Amino acid sequence: MSSAPTIYALSNNSLLIDAAHLDANNVLTIQKKIWALAAHCKNTAEFTDLVAGMNSLTLYLKSSAGLTKWLEALPLLWDELKSSAFTGKHHLIETLYEGEDLAYVASFHNLSIDEVISIHSQAQYHVLFLGFQPGFAYLHGLDTRLHTPRRAEPRIKVPKGAVAIGAAQTGIYPSDTPGGWHIIGHTNTTLFNSTRSQPCLMQPGDTLEFVALKNQGAGA
Amino acid sequence: MIKVLKPGVQLTIQDFGRIGYRHLGVSKAGSLDPCAQLIANRLLGNNDNDAVLEVTVGLCELEFNCDTVIAIQGADLQAKLDDQSIYPGWTYAIKNKQVLSFAIGRAGLRAYIAVKGGVQCPLIMGSRSTDLNACFGGLDGKALNSGDCIPIKPFNGPFIKTGALAPPQRKIIRLHPSPYAKLLGKTLLHSFTSGKFKASPNSNRMGVRLVNNADNLMHTHSLPSVAVNPGSIQLPPNGEPIVLLNDAQTTGGYPLLGTVISADLHQFAQFRAADNIEFEYVTLEQARTAQHKQNAHLYQLSLALNNSNNKK
Repeated sequence: MSSAPTIYALSNNSLLIDAAHLDANNVLTIQKKIWALAAHCKNTAEFTDLVAGMNSLTLYLKSSAGLTKWLEALPLLWDELKSSAFTGKHHLIETLYEGEDLAYVASFHNLSIDEVISIHSQAQYHVLFLGFQPGFAYLHGLDTRLHTPRRAEPRIKVPKGAVAIGAAQTGIYPSDTPGGWHIIGHTNTTLFNSTRSQPCLMQPGDTLEFVALKNQGAGA
Repeated sequence: MIKVLKPGVQLTIQDFGRIGYRHLGVSKAGSLDPCAQLIANRLLGNNDNDAVLEVTVGLCELEFNCDTVIAIQGADLQAKLDDQSIYPGWTYAIKNKQVLSFAIGRAGLRAYIAVKGGVQCPLIMGSRSTDLNACFGGLDGKALNSGDCIPIKPFNGPFIKTGALAPPQRKIIRLHPSPYAKLLGKTLLHSFTSGKFKASPNSNRMGVRLVNNADNLMHTHSLPSVAVNPGSIQLPPNGEPIVLLNDAQTTGGYPLLGTVISADLHQFAQFRAADNIEFEYVTLEQARTAQHKQNAHLYQLSLALNNSNNKK
């Protein structure tokens, strides 16, 4: 197996460093190196945007003049940078586990509803990267016992704050959108607010856990 | 202020878009034809990044509630000021209560209206652009509706009556090579560059979908999500490529066929459903030369405008 990431010039001012083929069992370890690389590059102030993907980083240069230099520098940086250099914030996401698909997910796995809630809320999740929608976090850490194929027919509207499971991933919808994941709960936590100085609640490298709320409203 | 009497198909406020927020999942947004925005603004002595109105298809009517000067660029959508025909590439003085209307274009899809001083909506995350998906920017994050009032500053000072040509359009769109050339294979990539495509009616500010009634680009690859940006060409398994534009999401999991070079990307603002589109891969050097040529065109425009200002 190759231990070096692949590096491409995507255009005159953008580069992709792709480590997705390195080791599928160490997605989180590789991603930690991606965060370290992004932080290093950010400090150089030579980029307009640094966008992490799944075990990859795309770098958008302010000026195309630096393209050759970075093509040469990235493999060396990859070897030098330590992946452990970064710790993010920890978020507690208060969740009312009364999602429309909760019973389906439980029966799909032959689990009780309480077991699904307990497995989902006991794990610690890592924010690998943001994408799809402003503030949407790709999370690592869903217990394999809850991996559930996406709905055959996507919903026209998944409501803002829906906590959902899609295949091997779980996530929170930052705003109303069509979507095919199974909704297991809802949170009032706001993930994105364009008027804040930090518009997104979560950043790559942050960790989070879901805290199960008891339903307060008797007639709800 | 400008009052929207009819918004037409899609009327939005745009500037060059949001830079520096893509790692948060925030799309770039911004004018699909930034050359048209820039030229229109320069004709008025505005800043290049001042917010403009992007008119899609036409069928739009605007009433000015103050004096100003405007410039129109991009597609010729048969604009009229009251009953007088007016033309892209020129500046026009507007009097209070005059109505600017657009019919529909013979070619091209989007026209850009710059007003003296730029559209004055609030800056959000460094830009006045409307983000139609995340619903912020512009006026309330939405395309404009009848009755909406677009804030502008009144202006009735002197101005230069002048004109400018848009950079020439090309028939064959130039591309940077795919990072997944090995995965997709030479045969598929050859089918892509030897194919003739049409823009699907199912295209929008997120992307232009391409169709060619052949099934030679179908595949079964699914990849870990990677960053995508305006100009990335995604190839979904159905074999119908999507050229991503400014409102595209920031990450995606379809293999990429390549990236449209910066000098050619603005052309996708203007493709209509019947238009033919072809592609060729070029080197980084060819892409750089193409961009220099476009910059030179815009630089000449600035020189010419400075000269006419000095003669005044």
